[in-house]
Amino acid sequence: MSDKLTFTPVIGIEIHIQLKTKSKIFCSCSADYTNDEPNSHICPVCMGLPGSMPVLNRAVVRQGMLAGMALNCKVQPTTLFFRKSYYYPDLPKNYQITQSDLPIAADGWLEIKDDAGKPKTIRINRLHLEEDVGKLHHSTSDGRLEGAETSWVDYNRSGLPLAEIVSEPDVSSSREAVEFVTMLRRRVRYSGASDVDLEKGMMRFDANVSVKCSDGRWGRRVEVKNMNSFRALEHAIEYEIKRQSEILAEGGEVLQETRHWNDAKGVTSGTRVKEFYRKFIVEPDLPPLVVSPEWVEEVRATLPEMPADKASRYVKEMGLTETDAAVLTDSLDVARYFEACVAAGANPVRAGNWVRTEVLRAVNEKHVDADALAVKPESLAELILRVEDGKLSTTLARQVFDAMLEGLSLEEAVKKSGAVEGGMGGSALGDLVRATLAANPDVVEEIRSGKDAKGKKVKFLQGLVMREAKGQARPDEVASAIEESLKPE
Amino acid sequence: MRLYELSARDIASGVRGKKFSATEVFDECLSRAVACDGKLAALITTTVEAGRAAAGRIDGRVSRGEDPGPLAGVPVILKDNMCTHGIRTTAASRVLGDWAPPYSATVWELLSSAGAVLLGKANMDEFAMGNTTSTSAFGPTANPWDVSRVPGGSSGGSAAAVAAGYTPVALGSDTGGSIRQPASYCGIYGLKPTYGLVSRYGLIAYGSSLDQIGPFARTVGDAALAMQILARHDPRDSTSVPGKKIDFTCREGALKKKRVALVREFRGFTLDAPIADAMKRVTRLFEEAGAEVVEVSLPTVARYAVACYYAIAASEAHTNLARYDGVRYGRAAPGAAGLKEMYETVRSEGFGVEVKSRIIAGTCLTEPVRSEEYYVAATRVRTLIAEEFRRAFESADCILQPVTPSLPEKIGEMDEDATKGYESDLYTLPVNMAGLPGFTFWTGRAENFGEKTGLPVGLQLVGPRWSDGELLNVGFALEKILGAPKIASL
Amino acid sequence: MKLGGEEVRAIAAEARLSLTDEELAKAVRYIGSFLDMVDRFKELDLKGVEPFCFAEAAECPLREDSPAAFGGMPEILAGRTEGVGSFFKVPRIVEE
Repeated sequence: MSDKLTFTPVIGIEIHIQLKTKSKIFCSCSADYTNDEPNSHICPVCMGLPGSMPVLNRAVVRQGMLAGMALNCKVQPTTLFFRKSYYYPDLPKNYQITQSDLPIAADGWLEIKDDAGKPKTIRINRLHLEEDVGKLHHSTSDGRLEGAETSWVDYNRSGLPLAEIVSEPDVSSSREAVEFVTMLRRRVRYSGASDVDLEKGMMRFDANVSVKCSDGRWGRRVEVKNMNSFRALEHAIEYEIKRQSEILAEGGEVLQETRHWNDAKGVTSGTRVKEFYRKFIVEPDLPPLVVSPEWVEEVRATLPEMPADKASRYVKEMGLTETDAAVLTDSLDVARYFEACVAAGANPVRAGNWVRTEVLRAVNEKHVDADALAVKPESLAELILRVEDGKLSTTLARQVFDAMLEGLSLEEAVKKSGAVEGGMGGSALGDLVRATLAANPDVVEEIRSGKDAKGKKVKFLQGLVMREAKGQARPDEVASAIEESLKPE
Repeated sequence: MRLYELSARDIASGVRGKKFSATEVFDECLSRAVACDGKLAALITTTVEAGRAAAGRIDGRVSRGEDPGPLAGVPVILKDNMCTHGIRTTAASRVLGDWAPPYSATVWELLSSAGAVLLGKANMDEFAMGNTTSTSAFGPTANPWDVSRVPGGSSGGSAAAVAAGYTPVALGSDTGGSIRQPASYCGIYGLKPTYGLVSRYGLIAYGSSLDQIGPFARTVGDAALAMQILARHDPRDSTSVPGKKIDFTCREGALKKKRVALVREFRGFTLDAPIADAMKRVTRLFEEAGAEVVEVSLPTVARYAVACYYAIAASEAHTNLARYDGVRYGRAAPGAAGLKEMYETVRSEGFGVEVKSRIIAGTCLTEPVRSEEYYVAATRVRTLIAEEFRRAFESADCILQPVTPSLPEKIGEMDEDATKGYESDLYTLPVNMAGLPGFTFWTGRAENFGEKTGLPVGLQLVGPRWSDGELLNVGFALEKILGAPKIASL
Repeated sequence: MKLGGEEVRAIAAEARLSLTDEELAKAVRYIGSFLDMVDRFKELDLKGVEPFCFAEAAECPLREDSPAAFGGMPEILAGRTEGVGSFFKVPRIVEE
């Protein structure tokens, strides 16, 4: 009997994202502390000093609304903050100020593809605002919590604005989970609400995993914490599904608990703490947050077209492939660059090719957004037009693009590359062809004697000439010049 | 008349008019404080150096022809739960150790920029939890009218200091009567302003939705003067209400046609004879002055407000006091083997028993299994209480009521029977539940009342929200009739 | 409703308080009279009554997003109970 059992995972995901603001959520300390000394961005408020009081940052509310809108949530007109109590040294007041059950945005959804490739809706319960905690550093070399002799606390992160996004338990596999958070991340980044930089810890995941057995038994819900990458999320979910399925398969019982993902070992382990003790009272220091319909609409107007909508437009209206459209819409700066290029007159398919190869390469190499590149989309469009008109070969155009990346104008770059207006042709090309033929008499002889039926030797000569011409010659002109020269004298 | 006997108004005008210097005033007040504090223990910290330096700066400004402000050279005392930059602030608890805040409470910034000079930080019940000033880690404060008795609390140090003439004005905080009750016990004036009128930024929180800072003074005019400076919107306190302009000029003729209410449900409760007499006497004064005495009914307040208060205050307090854990400031446990041991050592040794009991009560009421039944229910009952007051003030301009049912007890008398203390809070707590202003005024001294003869007798006026100025106007009129209290001789 | 000594001790532990027997006895009495008092709420019909949050219908004020450093950072560090460099030090974290 037991070998016929099947297990259906039921997964809900909680995602914390750091909202993009200049200052913290409840005080004016700078939100940017990269590379700064520990505890150099602290004040009475984010340190929870006696007598200090929180004052809400307008930008946090705005960014929360934007992120919510990007996830198809409804903005709630009146919401409230609570104190969520638990003792931990990274939490200065030993309570966290959070909107919790009265969130700024609720009832959203994203559409992904299920494991069979069919469209599937993942519902989003809510997006609520809260404050981040400080950072703990532990003295054991492997960074484990247990066993460390001492811990040190840095409160620079304390009070950074977070949005916690809670999905309904609609996710059925680790693959779906990754697709969901990938799409979510892209949309939030588009909205401008967060940079969602995983490496900087701006996006963190918890997963609620339970498994239903085909014989009707349910495992209890297990909360898995501490995933900081897509890969960790994927592996942690897979690990839990397997662990829970095995327990049920052996007739055991899955306990409701909180488990900790150990990324180095690739396992989850029980935390030996009873489920995080959640106590709430209303935050008496903050009256209800009210957002007017006017403000909501003002914010909504700034929400850009979302990536999936853009991609399908690129396919339908511009004739791009779905793959290319997906690459081009992965981040908003690149999509905007592409669209500006097209708007400046470039052929969309050619522009698409340029952007997804040369522009993305430059963006990655220089670690900047596309709009910060020295080559403006209008210049790229002009370059593409010149290639199309036959004024520049593709090879040479790439050199011109590279020169422009270093700050040269289009004309300067063309000049520097040695390109001749209209390319190499006429007598210069004739001279080059003659010199090439003279240097390869054996090849010429073979062709003339009719031994090159497949034209391989002619192609070989063409290649040599093209290389010598350093991309300035047009292939069709080179071919006809060789053909001309090979004619019997 | 000695300088320490002057009102704040007279001191400020004397300093501005160069009749005497701020330094002379400070030194006289300081000598008075030093002379009395051995008996009273009203101060936790006396700010001799900082105060004298500030007085010197005021004198410098006066001599340069500048105006140091409406409180020029007026010595003041702050309850020791208000943060003072660089000056030890303890909330009368061991858990804060010698913590010196890196910032000042808004109220102190306002007072000092108006020219006030700090004389000291006043004793109080630990974290403002109590009504005797006996739960202080620094020992009890005594009542200046009878040093064997309590001064009331939790702002007992501030009240005793003003009554004994240390300074003409002191600040207290009132979560459930902590200004009004000690003002009554010490025979002075004390205003608990409308919630949201005075900034709480820098006030070490007890019950954040109830706490409010207000002045003690020996004249109504001085209380009004302090309020002119303190009643200001503060963007650092999100519950501070903007756009409220309240007139604190103390106009005459406030009693005529005033609708003064007595509470029907309070009639059946027992009062000490001098308090009952004072109620009758002041009611008659109102009638004689052309006021209309009416009756209002507050049944929900009478039966539920005390329970509701303790539920809300304890629930908020247990979160406000969670931060004292030995990690960032205050008392530490350097030898602790682990986190739990550090927390428990710091908190168990740092907090007194009253504070611990209230923390446990708040933790208990807000447990997920009990929260709906107790904490959330209390927040709903509170709505009923606020609503009942609102309706009552449709037919009355203010309520006249006792502050406490009895005159001050002996120090140590109350310690064991905690719940008796709670019932005695019936006249004070409901006011905080609804965020109303309440004003305690001195009516005279108890006559023919055994060993309590001679103790001061105060009564209370309660008004609708933002009627603070009106309450002081009524108080001003009553002060003209009843006279202002004298400084207690010690 | 009454709570026994062990229940009160457990609640105290949640608030990170350890009580002496004498303190526990006082706390049990205190919580007992406290709960008797708040049990009065059960007499009331609170259906449809909104929880009271603030003394009047106030809206949460919002601050502009302009960073400003708090000048007294060294004073906060000086007030540390224990520290290393600019870190706050806490003892070994043992999961209870």
